[in-house]
Amino acid sequence: MPALAQPVPGPVTYQLDPNHTFVTFEVMHFVTSTLRGRIGPVNGEVTIDRAAKAGDLRLSIPVTTVSSGSRMLDARLKEPDLLATSEYPEAYFVATRFQFDASGGVKEVRGEFTLRGVSEPLSLQARSFACRQDAMLKRQVCGGDFDGVLKRSRFGATLGLPFVGDDVHLVVQVEAIAP
Amino acid sequence: MTKFSLLAVAAALGFAASAHAESATYAIEPSHSFATFEIGHFGTSTNRGRFNKTSGTVTLDKAAKTGALDVTVDTTSLDTGTAAFTKHISSEEILNVAANPTAKLVATKFVFNGDKVAEIDGNLTLNGKTNPVVLKAQNFNCYMNPMVKREVCGGDFDATIVRSQYGVSYGLNYGFPDNVHLVIQVEAVKQ
Repeated sequence: MPALAQPVPGPVTYQLDPNHTFVTFEVMHFVTSTLRGRIGPVNGEVTIDRAAKAGDLRLSIPVTTVSSGSRMLDARLKEPDLLATSEYPEAYFVATRFQFDASGGVKEVRGEFTLRGVSEPLSLQARSFACRQDAMLKRQVCGGDFDGVLKRSRFGATLGLPFVGDDVHLVVQVEAIAP
Repeated sequence: MTKFSLLAVAAALGFAASAHAESATYAIEPSHSFATFEIGHFGTSTNRGRFNKTSGTVTLDKAAKTGALDVTVDTTSLDTGTAAFTKHISSEEILNVAANPTAKLVATKFVFNGDKVAEIDGNLTLNGKTNPVVLKAQNFNCYMNPMVKREVCGGDFDATIVRSQYGVSYGLNYGFPDNVHLVIQVEAVKQ
């Protein structure tokens, strides 16, 4: 199956599908196991101009929804030395530098990630990307799995260092619906 | 060899001998033990679901390089982040958690690589059906936990299962994959 269901001229703006758009973070716990938390659904839109090989992504990430499976850990994650959700209920990812592969699929998005009010560059790599004509929605849906790494200390989220790792692996599921 | 060093060697051998016979029991720590499934969605992205409640015990003999485990996952604790998706997967059509509120992993064969667990061969019971499963360790380590002041052993394990072998065949004809990737975080506290 080609990466694109159909060629579309000019920029197209897709709305993120809240049922299939989540950020999972992964961080090492005592160099032993991987602690995970899910944040979302993520809100936002993405504009892709395949002819110009350009794109623009604006995500609003409600960190108040953080869910680790443990209520105690969720409460701890929301405190001021970690996600600081009362002061900063949203994280943001704004990316305007898109790389496309030979078949026109998105390969990489680079932009700025804002967490706890601190902005740092972030690059997300596509592990998979495809577009399809969705049978139920009767619209084109594009999306994939993206991942990237950030250092939480750069954003001031320092609790538990170094026993809980500084490198945070972001695993992003995203699907977005064409108009 | 001096008398002192002979004693030291004897003590070391004695310690090794006693360590060799030592099998310890570890209790699963529920706030650091979760099973997550990953399944492809129309060749586009990956859908995930996490079971929030896991319990059980692991026995580990690090000297003899043997182990066993008996772990229960509460399938009613499924959490996907989307209420409708959680409800559908829990329904009779898919996991039927009302009839099968638990999944079980029982294993008596641990494969070691050096002093670390590398693989666990066991049987997974899901949706009332049991099949052999091999869990591969992506990480394994033991450490002294400063909060519980006990040894904690754990890691990350994964396996790919074929869901139709467990009678979970919903949507195969619509193109939902048969392969499901299980991603397991586990930590267990020495008793």
